[in-house]
Amino acid sequence: MGVYETNGAAAIPSESRETAEDRRSRVLAERARQGDTEAFGELIEQHRHRVKGWAERMTGDPHMADDIVQDALIRAFLHIGTLHDSSRFLSWLHRIVQNQAYMRLRRGGPYRKEKPFAAFRPSETDGAHIEWNDLDDVLFHLTRSASKAAADDEHDPAEHLMRKELYETIHALLHCLSNKERGIFEAYFFRQLSPDEIASMYRTTTGTVYTYIHRSRRKLRSEQIRASLGLQPEKGGSTLVKSKRLELPAWPPHASASITLIDRIGLMLAALGDEHETAELMGLSGFAFRMQISDRTTFADGIYMFDWRKTVQQLLGRLGYETTLLCGQLSDSPVPLLGAVERFPVVLPIEEAVIPFIRKYIDQGATVLYFDTTVSRPYVHEWSLIYGYDDEEQAVRLTDVMKPGGKTLAYEDIASNPVRFLAAIDGRRNMDGASGPASPAIPRKPGAAAVRRRRIDAEQAIRFAIDYSKNRWAYCPMTTYLSYTTGLAAYERWIEHLRGGPDKPPNRYGLGQLAAVYANTRTYAAHYLRTVPFEGEAMRLALLASEAYEQAGEALAELSAAVPFVRAASVMTAEQCEACATLLEQARTFEAAAIEYLEKTIHYAEKEQLL
Amino acid sequence: MSHITEIRYLTEFQNLNNINDAIASFEREHPDVRVIVEQATDHYEALQAFNSDEAPDIIESGGWSLFNRPGMFVNLLPYVNEVPGLREDLNPGIMRIACKDGTLPGLPVDVSVPLILYDKEKFDRAGLPYPTEGWTWDDMMALGEKLTIRNERGVASQFGLGIGVDIEFFEPFIMRNGGRLIAPDGTARGSVDQPAAIEAFRKVTEAYRVHQIIRKPEEPSEAGELHEGFAMIFSFTWFTGGCLDHGLGDRFGVVGLPNMPGGQLANMIYMGAAGITSKSRNPRLAWEFLNHYNLRRPDAFRSARTLPITRSLAEQSGMAEHPIWSRYIQELDHVQISGFYINEKWNASRQLINEEINRMILEGADVAQTLRSWTRFA
Repeated sequence: MGVYETNGAAAIPSESRETAEDRRSRVLAERARQGDTEAFGELIEQHRHRVKGWAERMTGDPHMADDIVQDALIRAFLHIGTLHDSSRFLSWLHRIVQNQAYMRLRRGGPYRKEKPFAAFRPSETDGAHIEWNDLDDVLFHLTRSASKAAADDEHDPAEHLMRKELYETIHALLHCLSNKERGIFEAYFFRQLSPDEIASMYRTTTGTVYTYIHRSRRKLRSEQIRASLGLQPEKGGSTLVKSKRLELPAWPPHASASITLIDRIGLMLAALGDEHETAELMGLSGFAFRMQISDRTTFADGIYMFDWRKTVQQLLGRLGYETTLLCGQLSDSPVPLLGAVERFPVVLPIEEAVIPFIRKYIDQGATVLYFDTTVSRPYVHEWSLIYGYDDEEQAVRLTDVMKPGGKTLAYEDIASNPVRFLAAIDGRRNMDGASGPASPAIPRKPGAAAVRRRRIDAEQAIRFAIDYSKNRWAYCPMTTYLSYTTGLAAYERWIEHLRGGPDKPPNRYGLGQLAAVYANTRTYAAHYLRTVPFEGEAMRLALLASEAYEQAGEALAELSAAVPFVRAASVMTAEQCEACATLLEQARTFEAAAIEYLEKTIHYAEKEQLL
Repeated sequence: MSHITEIRYLTEFQNLNNINDAIASFEREHPDVRVIVEQATDHYEALQAFNSDEAPDIIESGGWSLFNRPGMFVNLLPYVNEVPGLREDLNPGIMRIACKDGTLPGLPVDVSVPLILYDKEKFDRAGLPYPTEGWTWDDMMALGEKLTIRNERGVASQFGLGIGVDIEFFEPFIMRNGGRLIAPDGTARGSVDQPAAIEAFRKVTEAYRVHQIIRKPEEPSEAGELHEGFAMIFSFTWFTGGCLDHGLGDRFGVVGLPNMPGGQLANMIYMGAAGITSKSRNPRLAWEFLNHYNLRRPDAFRSARTLPITRSLAEQSGMAEHPIWSRYIQELDHVQISGFYINEKWNASRQLINEEINRMILEGADVAQTLRSWTRFA
């Protein structure tokens, strides 16, 4: 399947030899690799028994096997970000178990199974009072010691030493824990249970668990331990508190698109020196041709209903980039756009799970695509671009569609965003599938191959436009009470909402956004079709389609002028509704004509290919 | 001219006929009051409106999660207690779910429970007796097999049972088997992983895989819409009301959910609520309107798709005597609190769980192992 998505339940490529379990593991491992701790928890659930079996066979000692399982899972958790091929998760895990088993069999010794807290008392005294029966205090102390050791050693890369000591500390520390303490740690960091749930499970008070986790989190944050707790190692990053802000290129109003996902991706690429016309991105992504209206009323949520993960990865993949996503939803707050977010894993509102991701890419000179739910009015939520962070201020810099100078958001706000969706570019794909650094971009060479590529892209874009226009339900959320109408039928649904009468009036606020967004997309459809590399009759028909989209866009722009996108709760009169419906009928007529031209365009384009 | 007081009413619903009617009659009784209706797309926008400087006086939400938020709504019980006889009139089954820790954050709206609608024509055509109260799951499977009609290619033109793949729809069968998905304290461990839940879920998956009486996800079908090619339908009041509105009332009969081996009389309930926000400057007036809107207008239930929340409304609207609606109202005696009311993580994981149900149905994933793994969702 190409970059386009015409059906929310798109088929996963079938690999005959891959079992359902393998496939599930692969998907979970991929999610875990991208920082999804929930997925890692599922992997543990799925494979714990198998891991234990391996360890038992390797050691012949069930008790030692328990320790090895614990070791191996911790290490897997810490290093999952380094797993390159998610289909190899099990063999990768097997290697870790094997290494742990060998190490333990070699080591033996008095602390083979359990090491007392006292054994961790450092030989040097730093004067600080440490509560050795308080795990939090111990963790804090040991982490601080690791930082200090790293800072003192000029010859050893600080990050390396920090991580090494940190891993050893956590690793060793876990072996000092009672089963209950170990369970709490695992429940919180791996299974993401709430303190209430952990307290209930371990028959202790919520207050105790909550205090423990809260203090740990605060201290962990202060010592930069977070990168090690479930996140990918930050290559080249320093462990010191720091800040960085990237310069964004100019983004003139004529380049901007009201589909902010595409608009920000354009800016993201431009920041890497890879400039694309917005019309090209709108055409390639299919957003120039999409229209989706809620079946409920003129709420604007249909604009955002598509498979975010697939769309971003496929579009950027098509443009030659490898991407990494971080996504989730919080459970303690209502999420917007449930139909798009419904299958995101539930994550905890902890900064440790988000900020290192941002820091890593900003440090590499790459901006981070971010779904912002605090965007300025009249918007409710839009995609933005994070282009800086400041550890001291505990804040990131990001764009806001209503604030040309950008804005600042606290780390805490980023972590507590009910929808977690971040995407970053890792690098360019090479021909062999490997990825390279994200910047600078490789200039696209003009030539026969490039022209052929553009032609193929254009044909796919047009085929998408045709298919989409006829697909009434291009995106179907699993949430049964949410449904949307797409394609040309969306116009009919929209008109129906406008003619619903006083008992089912159109939502004025959503109507304003729908009109503004779809007027803009049709203008881009017209722009895009003027640039397609066809010849002869195919090109003539593409230009006719472009003209029809232009006219559809003009009718929608007239609608937008009549109901501007502002935060309004006013009730529209019957006459206003009818005037809007009439404009939509005009737009639909033009768009239907455009689709007919596109069908003929493809017909002639194929014919020309055969000649 | 007297001062006009505004009550701002935020709703997540798109059909405003009921609220508009209520406003018209309320404003006639209270000429110094204007009720302004605003809409929110979802719970998130409703919460944003609450958090803004211009919080509405009343929020009407299609779900319950906002009403679990501490401090967002005022407790309505003191107002309820001021109205003579109202406390006793409120349906005890609904109130059992709506009240938490001795408070009532909103008056329930959009109340619905599921029962089994059966298509009498299809039963008559097959020469089968209609199901009766006390029937069992095995009875339903046996009837469903006889009522599923497939062609030589195996494509069904009629299915024995119509039900969507949704954890929330299957939960009543677990309840009726004496199990739970989520314990009242919010934990899944010790509930969803227990034999009663596993047994009920195994039966549900067998209905797809062994008895083949339910359309599997994406299964080719010639059975048409739910009201067309399905002999029995797991039907909430919304669907049933639609059938009645379209004049199909005579074609369908209604019966309770089948008994499970666990032998419990239990069912789930969906509802939203309308509550007075803690930021309202006119909570008493807001209550007056809520009382009028939700409790004093039996006409709103004469052509309804949801259930009234008081016995008197059920009687005055005629629903208590209606051959189909009376059975739905009776079912309210047996409703239990579902997992999604209790645990927000579970609620938010609904579609991840549904994906796993699809795997059990389509790929035969092990039921016990899958349910045990669901402890991670709560």
